[in-house]
Amino acid sequence: MALPALTATSVTKRFGPFVALHDIDFSLEPGEIHALLGVNGAGKSTFIKILSGIHVKDGGRIELAGREVHFHSPQDAIRAGIATVQQHPELVPDISGYENIFLGRESEGGSLFARMDRKALERRGQALLKRFPVEIDLSRKVGEMPAVEREIVAILQALAGEHIRVLILDEPTSTLTEVEKDILFRLMANLRESGIAIIYITHRLDEVYEIADRFSVFRGGRRVATVAVTEAREERLSLAELMLGETLGEVFPEKNAAPSRGEAVLEVRGLARDGAFEDLTFAARRGEILGVFGLVGSGIDELSKALFGAMPPDRGAMRLLGQEASFSSPGEALARGIFLVPGDRRSEGLTLSRSSIFNMTLAKLDKASRRGGLMRRPDNLRAARRLAEEVTLQPPDIGAPVGRFSGGNQQKVVIAKGLYTEAELYIFVEPTVGVDIGARSRIYGLMRELSRKAAVIVMSTDCDEVFGLADRTIALYRGKRVPAPEDMPRGDLLMAGILGEAHT
Amino acid sequence: MMKSGLLPHGAGRVLAFLGLVAVMATLFTLAEPRFLSQANFSAMTRHMAANGLAALGLTFVVIVRRFDLSFAGVACFAAMTIGFAIAGGLPLWVAIGSGILVGVVAGAVNGIAISHFGLPDIVTTIATGSIAAGMAFLYSGGRTIFQNFFTSGIIDLNDARVLGFSVSFVFLIAIYACAWVLMHRTRYGAAFYATGENPVSAFYSGIPTRTYTALAFVACAVGAVLAVVLILAESGTADTNEGANLLMPAYAAVFLGAALMGGTSVLATLSGTFLITMLLDGFALAGMPYYYSDGIVSAILLGGVLLFDPRVRDILDDAVRFLIPKKTETRR
Amino acid sequence: MTAAISPAVPERTGPALRSNLIGRFWLVAALLAMIAIFGSLRPEMLEPGNVATILRSFAIMATMTLGLTWVMAAGKIDVSFMQVAALSNMIAAALLAAGHGWGVASAAGLGAGLIAGAVNGLLIAGLGLPPLIVTIATGGICASIAAALGKGTSIRIAEHGLLTDLLTTNIGPFPLVLFGVLLVYAIAWVFQERLTFGHYMYAIAQSEEAVIEAGISSRRLLIMLFVLTGGLSALAGLFLAASLSSGQPMIGASYFINGLTAVLLGGMMIHIGKPNIIGTAVAILFLAVLASGAALLGWADWKRQIIQGALLLIGIAVAVRANRKKGGHHAEAGL
Repeated sequence: MALPALTATSVTKRFGPFVALHDIDFSLEPGEIHALLGVNGAGKSTFIKILSGIHVKDGGRIELAGREVHFHSPQDAIRAGIATVQQHPELVPDISGYENIFLGRESEGGSLFARMDRKALERRGQALLKRFPVEIDLSRKVGEMPAVEREIVAILQALAGEHIRVLILDEPTSTLTEVEKDILFRLMANLRESGIAIIYITHRLDEVYEIADRFSVFRGGRRVATVAVTEAREERLSLAELMLGETLGEVFPEKNAAPSRGEAVLEVRGLARDGAFEDLTFAARRGEILGVFGLVGSGIDELSKALFGAMPPDRGAMRLLGQEASFSSPGEALARGIFLVPGDRRSEGLTLSRSSIFNMTLAKLDKASRRGGLMRRPDNLRAARRLAEEVTLQPPDIGAPVGRFSGGNQQKVVIAKGLYTEAELYIFVEPTVGVDIGARSRIYGLMRELSRKAAVIVMSTDCDEVFGLADRTIALYRGKRVPAPEDMPRGDLLMAGILGEAHT
Repeated sequence: MMKSGLLPHGAGRVLAFLGLVAVMATLFTLAEPRFLSQANFSAMTRHMAANGLAALGLTFVVIVRRFDLSFAGVACFAAMTIGFAIAGGLPLWVAIGSGILVGVVAGAVNGIAISHFGLPDIVTTIATGSIAAGMAFLYSGGRTIFQNFFTSGIIDLNDARVLGFSVSFVFLIAIYACAWVLMHRTRYGAAFYATGENPVSAFYSGIPTRTYTALAFVACAVGAVLAVVLILAESGTADTNEGANLLMPAYAAVFLGAALMGGTSVLATLSGTFLITMLLDGFALAGMPYYYSDGIVSAILLGGVLLFDPRVRDILDDAVRFLIPKKTETRR
Repeated sequence: MTAAISPAVPERTGPALRSNLIGRFWLVAALLAMIAIFGSLRPEMLEPGNVATILRSFAIMATMTLGLTWVMAAGKIDVSFMQVAALSNMIAAALLAAGHGWGVASAAGLGAGLIAGAVNGLLIAGLGLPPLIVTIATGGICASIAAALGKGTSIRIAEHGLLTDLLTTNIGPFPLVLFGVLLVYAIAWVFQERLTFGHYMYAIAQSEEAVIEAGISSRRLLIMLFVLTGGLSALAGLFLAASLSSGQPMIGASYFINGLTAVLLGGMMIHIGKPNIIGTAVAILFLAVLASGAALLGWADWKRQIIQGALLLIGIAVAVRANRKKGGHHAEAGL
């Protein structure tokens, strides 16, 4: 038998006191497509970052074709034969596919004054396409290419460099359509034929069955299983169980009793935005948390922005407290009582260089200032103190720039900013990304408290979060609502989000 | 994790600034005793007024994280507009009003082109500034306008005094006080800062960021027009290049002030303007020819930008620590 | 085969191609039209003496803006170039007045330009400081030194040198220096279009991150561009010294708007929305003909300035539109 393309033995990684990876054993055969599965935070990203030289491992051993390797930079990994295509690869939009593939490698040594032989690049590109056949016109500008072709250019760029034996793809299909996905899979199959081993991170189980040879499931920083796809099919393995594990733990607050649910605050009918989501109908009621589970690319991010007026929908209707509602800006949505806790809090939710007082009052300056516009400074200070206490900001240093806070504290400031607006509807997107476990349970608790007087929608790519928190759940799959009951069990919700159907 | 920095923060910065002023004042006085005279003091406050107003306008644009290179040209056009109106026998307030109108229109053109149509700020304002500078020649074909200046009352703006200060200086302080209240005590100031520091988050907080960006350009042009009114009052004539010298000191004042105070603000610009005016005045008293002033202002600007840059500050901090290790035990 | 993936392609080529040809060479057409109009209104416009004058000012301007074109092609800006020219102009004049020869004077002028360019490059590409502020400041320092060298006034140059001959000797209506400048532009075109140098330069403007990730030293390239701009601006300053037989400390101001207008207007042809040297050259010729024609028709200078400013504004607007069509979708976030 041939040597494995790559083996990892007892690979460990710590971030401070937090152990991100426990003794990972992993092997990859030449010419194998090996999928990595796991919910957010399971450790798969950390693992591939170690393989691609972005993180340095704290313990264990990595061998490439039987020889031990040590990576201290991405260049080390590439030299050793491991290429990685990031989730959002950086390409130059205004030059052709050929030119992007060989950017920086037009000549030996990458001189600034080498001849720019576009014909030669084309020949080299064609040769590359002969080795790895795929339908693509590389003479087009990358900026004019659809998403899949950009992904292909990035893959070819990764393969063009050295003698690559292992290719790592980080969620390459998350933004692709069904047709585009097939094109990418054909390329991956061709790469497999030519002996390249592929590690492929995905959240979509149907894709695993379609393209992968084996898959490994990560959970809580451990590799909990590695299964051949054929075997998994025969044994009808419960992937949901493998990925989720047994207990949800104590982080989630108790749910509201059904009778406490009140009137519909938001009713959405047939809402659609081309290329993002289509024909969505649902309602959010006072006194409950509505959960929306969907993967990256499922449309949840766009949906949240459409509800908030930041990205107008193309079709459909919204009613807020029984009144027709269509917003042309977030300002209008805020005035009508909607508050969005955005997924990317650092770039969308906070003014990092400013204090908590500034941030907490920013979304409702009407309330924070007198008629002439003069800020009510003592009132605002008191309000900020009270809000800081309410969200348990620790330490409650409301004068310090929020950029210095931890992720959990920053999220608490965003929530306080929302509390200050006294909205009717709160939309949370990925509320606990980058938030430590202690702050997480407090944030969940705050969301639950909010749901007693207002309607709350939580949208997340984390199935457990949606399931553990929400009173009713719906799943989005590639922009469409998956037909399933709103009280589906945990495994069904996961399957609905990652397969597009609740039962398999 | 964060370096405390040897360059002081907050209140420490104000003390450091005052210390710097005291040291320089002492040095200038030693070199030229007239530096402390009443005459020099009143000259300094007058000089400070025009540059200070232009710098204040620019502060708004810098706070929304843009650049404006047109305000000098706009000031030239406004100066000639005011001059033409005075020569035509219009009342002074109408003349000044028409100049301010020129500023509002020019600023609105810049602001809308940049914030609504997405044109790049630097080259757009170079173009509009050049057009405005050309339009300064519209009224007289480039000849100096001086008719009616003596009788119009504009010169009184330069000569009159309030409590021993020149009117222009009092005007400067009054405008700065208003601007300070606006930027640091009202919701509008909060919106300007939020727009500049994180436009996406500001937009998601319901702030009309485009409008605030456009308003900043209007403020910048109007600031330059007010500055040129003081220049007209001092010179008693209107020339086509009346506002051309406003550009460099304004940039230097804003960025030096930001370096001194740790961020762009009304007070930072005031202290930047004060420092630059004092330096130029001191050197001029010491007999330095006028043509060095641009160089000095530029050098100050460059120094300010370098100090403002966090990486450069880290390097400087490390160097200082290396040289005087004992004094640096106060590290957090 | 690929049509299956991207059905948008075939629809686009027809009208796009036609508008491309017009878009690429409209400035040449405008230039020819303007020459025809001015020539018919004022036939003396096309006399050899006047043509030589136009071409001489073209040559000087073209020298000054070559590096600037590339700096802007890489997405940066340099507003110190005209003051660097003024500085080198005054250094040369001062040294000549002090009795040194043209050799020493030229070397000193050029050296000053290279140093100014290196300072710009190190501060901007090395430390990552904002290009506008840095070059405003270095430009101000250069202007100040230039003025100080002449104590605020101009310096007369009595001595004749090689550069003087280059500028004042004409072959027919063509000044000698023109041939040198055209040769430099031809070589530079090769650098821009046929070497990795130009390729990387445009890539940096698009996505500096992608360029750095590809292992290219964008920092080195940018420093080179600023040094080149400094050196060539200084050379243009020496040309001016020879052409005017004097050192003029205030000469920079008139070149500032012209230089930027030429680069941006030139960026409207050949590669739409991207500064390129052939475009710059055509635009400079356009501006030089405009200036000459305007003078012959007796227009005041300020009218020309307004026309030029308007042209610049239109150029910017067209470039932004062209880039937006190409698909820079910005989110609705009002940025």
